[in-house]
Amino acid sequence: MRDRLIVARLPPLCYTVARLREVRRTRRRFTVLTIAFAAAVAGAVLSQAAARVVAQAPAAAYRAPRTPDGKPSLNGIWQAMNEANWDIEAHGTGPSPYPELLGALFAQPAAQGVVEGGPLPYTPEALAKKKENFAKRLTRPTSRELNETTGDPEAKCYMPGVPRATYMPMPFQIVQTPQQVLIAYEFANATREIHIGRKPEAPAESWMGWSIGHWEGETLVVDVTDQIDRTWFDRAGNFHSSALHVIERYTPMSADHLMYEATIEDPKVFTRPWKMSMPLYRRVEKNALFIDFKCVEYAQEFMYGHLLSK
Amino acid sequence: MAIFSASDERRFMPWRVWIAAISVVALATVPLAGQSSGKPAPASVAKPVKSVNVVKKTPWGDPDLQGVYTFSTLTPLQRPDALAAKVALTEAELAEQEERDAENRVAEDRPLAPGNPGTYNNFWTSNEKGRRTGRSSLIIDPQDGRRPPLTPQAQKLRDQLTDEAAARRVGTPPFDHVIYRSWKDLPAYTQCVSRPMPRQSQAYNHGLQILQVPGYVVIHYESMHDVRFIPLDGRPHLPDNIRLWNGDSRGHWEGNTLVVDWTNFDPRQEYEGAPQGNMHFVERFTRVDAKTIDYEVTVDDPTTWTKSWKFLLPWRADDPNYQKPEDLYEYACHEGNYRQMEDALNGSRVLEHAAGK
Repeated sequence: MRDRLIVARLPPLCYTVARLREVRRTRRRFTVLTIAFAAAVAGAVLSQAAARVVAQAPAAAYRAPRTPDGKPSLNGIWQAMNEANWDIEAHGTGPSPYPELLGALFAQPAAQGVVEGGPLPYTPEALAKKKENFAKRLTRPTSRELNETTGDPEAKCYMPGVPRATYMPMPFQIVQTPQQVLIAYEFANATREIHIGRKPEAPAESWMGWSIGHWEGETLVVDVTDQIDRTWFDRAGNFHSSALHVIERYTPMSADHLMYEATIEDPKVFTRPWKMSMPLYRRVEKNALFIDFKCVEYAQEFMYGHLLSK
Repeated sequence: MAIFSASDERRFMPWRVWIAAISVVALATVPLAGQSSGKPAPASVAKPVKSVNVVKKTPWGDPDLQGVYTFSTLTPLQRPDALAAKVALTEAELAEQEERDAENRVAEDRPLAPGNPGTYNNFWTSNEKGRRTGRSSLIIDPQDGRRPPLTPQAQKLRDQLTDEAAARRVGTPPFDHVIYRSWKDLPAYTQCVSRPMPRQSQAYNHGLQILQVPGYVVIHYESMHDVRFIPLDGRPHLPDNIRLWNGDSRGHWEGNTLVVDWTNFDPRQEYEGAPQGNMHFVERFTRVDAKTIDYEVTVDDPTTWTKSWKFLLPWRADDPNYQKPEDLYEYACHEGNYRQMEDALNGSRVLEHAAGK
């Protein structure tokens, strides 16, 4: 419209040249601008699409929210959801210890196991000991010698040690501060402190071991030593010596689950190191709460019943 | 004559318009920079509130009570009769109290009379100067520094239990003994079931740690490796039918003081000689200085005491034995208790046999 008005005012030949130049310039400018704008938009759209594709790729690491000191936060109430406490190796179903009293209650469910790569690499003597542990797992401790050498410590409400505490069928809570990570387990109200940024020495051996931790990227790596040799790995009698060294790895995988790995080294019992792994799930219900399971009172008749007044 | 007619313009314009239009539509699908797709933007961390007193705060703005402490003290819970109306002790009196304590500890190591098996001596106790509060009692209310009287029902219950235990006593003093029919005749602490809360003075393993994370204050006690999780989010207490040896705690801040409401105790636990099932405590934790937390507890149980009472016990970070988290040792009470239970119960069986019971 505007061009037609200009057409009406200028002398014919000058107008033609001037008009030609002006229109071409305008058209070129507009073309260039339009193409540049379209390219910029296309670039933005494509890069966003590309970013979305990358974020959904399963191999990409999850970046957990940070604590104030910049570390991935493991704070919260967590629980394993597996059958490892029955038997960490692959196993079929089985009866409870007293089927005539309990029926199907407390019968054992089957599981593929949490141990990576085949049967546990016991030495021949240690394998015999494991089988003896299982056969005598519910022997009542009618003497101090029996109490100290025989029977599943879980039945006595003894602290489960590491790694068994992690996969007891009860929650645990992680409290993460810069200097230490405190983990409290509902079973037997067992606690352990993981020291970060310093390496104090264990004053003595203990039931929950001595834990020194450090961060590797998104993973908390914990070295556990000095654990008393009276804890078991499960109800199947899998055991260790006082030479046990556990290397745990806690890696956040999403907002509501971690991957837990534990490498076991014990040259007095096993011919080589071996590893277990399992997810740990956050307890997400409203008002999820750590509630003590102080089970000593439930173990007393089992342990001391033979000492009652007649 | 125009070289380019209006119709030429119409032929050239539309494709530019189309590209512009498509670009505008495409732009609408691109999320703004800084927002990850699908998730809301994270809330910013609350900045610490600057108070006039410049109280230490955690990075998320709660008063910072964190540290490793001991609660051991020379001050008794109740004011001794001899001190009657005296609330505070003079320097001279405090020095005399410490001297007497030192003499007692030396006496504990003297050779024992024949037949006396002995008891805890100096080896077991963790003692050092600076454990005095400067007061004659931990109890600050009532004014006389002593617990209020028992209610009639509580007195009746106590008399019943005393009579019942006396009926199980054999032998002649000073070597008379109460017979334990089962583990239940021993205090819950001796059974390593649970040690009474709130924790007051003890001879050893009296360390603890306060840790804080957003939404919780956590107290880790060395003794019994107990952990109390104190939620700060205003949630209700557990239902009344859930009774726990360490009760159920709910906390909130009043200024710089953590106030904790503590209920749901197991009625089989005894505190200050009375069953704990109806007890209700309100704790107040206030940081006094870099090394001290004032720990004040109001004790309320109308079925046991005629009125509520209050004690004040400082938690101190100046004990050389309790400076770092690793100074809290594992207290494997039950794991190490088999022999004691066996000896105590076997001993009672021997006494029963000797007494012809």
